[in-house]
Amino acid sequence: MNNATENSVEISVKNLNLWFGKFQALKDVNIDIQKNQVTALIGPSGCGKSTFIKTLDRMNDLVDNVKISGEVMYQGRNILDSNTDVVELRKQIGMVFQKPNPFPKSIFDNVAYGPRVHGVRKKQNLNEVVERSLKAAALWEEVKDRLNESALRLSGGQQQRLCIARLLAVEPDVLLMDEPASALDPIATSKIEDLIYELKNDYTIIIVTHNMQQAARVASNTAFFYLGELIEYAPTIDLFERPQDKRTEDYVTGKFG
Amino acid sequence: MARTRYVRKLKELRQNVVDMGAATLQSVDYVIASLETSDSALAERAIANDDVIDNFDRKIESQCMSLLALEQPMAKDLRLIATSLKMITDLERIGDFVVDIAEEVITMAKPIRIPVSATKFIELVADVRSMVADSIETYAEGNIQKARSFEGRDDRIDSLYKNIVESSVNSLAQGACSTETASDVVSLLYIIRYLERIADHAVNIGNRVCYMEEGDRRYLK
Repeated sequence: MNNATENSVEISVKNLNLWFGKFQALKDVNIDIQKNQVTALIGPSGCGKSTFIKTLDRMNDLVDNVKISGEVMYQGRNILDSNTDVVELRKQIGMVFQKPNPFPKSIFDNVAYGPRVHGVRKKQNLNEVVERSLKAAALWEEVKDRLNESALRLSGGQQQRLCIARLLAVEPDVLLMDEPASALDPIATSKIEDLIYELKNDYTIIIVTHNMQQAARVASNTAFFYLGELIEYAPTIDLFERPQDKRTEDYVTGKFG
Repeated sequence: MARTRYVRKLKELRQNVVDMGAATLQSVDYVIASLETSDSALAERAIANDDVIDNFDRKIESQCMSLLALEQPMAKDLRLIATSLKMITDLERIGDFVVDIAEEVITMAKPIRIPVSATKFIELVADVRSMVADSIETYAEGNIQKARSFEGRDDRIDSLYKNIVESSVNSLAQGACSTETASDVVSLLYIIRYLERIADHAVNIGNRVCYMEEGDRRYLK
């Protein structure tokens, strides 16, 4: 079921199927991800939500025996096509993981890493990108006086925001977040949630979360996955207040199984 | 079935609302009986029973707040709690109107006579009583078909109410009433006004049950 709020579509997924060997992890998924909205993916462990999000920037390519069919249309092309430039794609569609993974480098070098890879060399330009990205990730005020310190000395919540700043530095369109706050305490979590809410003005965000209240707080639309199928996709308020499918109802009320 | 404790708490909530409904209906029955028998003692009982209803109101509100704060209810559970929280206000208000009627009964001359439109008054009382009983039943059973009939039934009650008001005003205007009868007519006007308001609260409950069962907010007018 697909009742999500209509807006312009950033990513359109059609008949997506994915197998790991003989195991089918995604079954005929059809979903339109709205531009400049936060879309939350929820569902029990193993339901396919992380697999789905990884398909959007071709991270499943790294898995042995993976077979994918269907279409993931983004900017007029199917990103599953073999001729897709994956490096360029991951610049446009970036990913933040559950555990913050800063490079063992300075705060500055973490953020400047992407722009350098993509050819920015001038110190002045890098300074501007780093400041802009750290500000956009709501981290600038906390680190502006110690940019040359190791990123590993930051707290978990700061490291996660640094990883988001690192993504923003290469000016992506879409941010994929795979449980970005699950390893953080409530205060760091609320900072990430506030940040997500701010970032949606400029980016399309897809967030996988096990925390339904988090989905309810940050997402405009929510998709419920179960056993590899997209069961229900609707405006978040509808999905949590009056889900249409009994499986969604059972999951969101915690009576699953 | 997961969340056993939570499911039990929801069941307890629903049962408490049904029990509050039964206590409210008991008050309605006491006051109707006091009208029928001119027995002020029954009216006093209806007034005393309001404490029972108020205690349920406080207890259930506290249950709802604790469920909302601690359990993060969703979907039908959320709608059950929201409906219960609003419905207890309707029941509490019905209880207050019963007290208002009981106070009129106590001040009326005995035996109580219905000076105008007695048949219509009896119909009005019976209709309101059955609306209150049915509203509680719709919540207990989630019977939306019955809940949907309330608007039509309320129209009939409104029409009976207007009819009795007109007859009463005519009776007073003609100056044919003794002072005592005129006083009874005024009491009657108060009583039917309270009865009509009780029916409105029963309609609210019916609409909330439709929302609880189907999630359609159009019912929450």
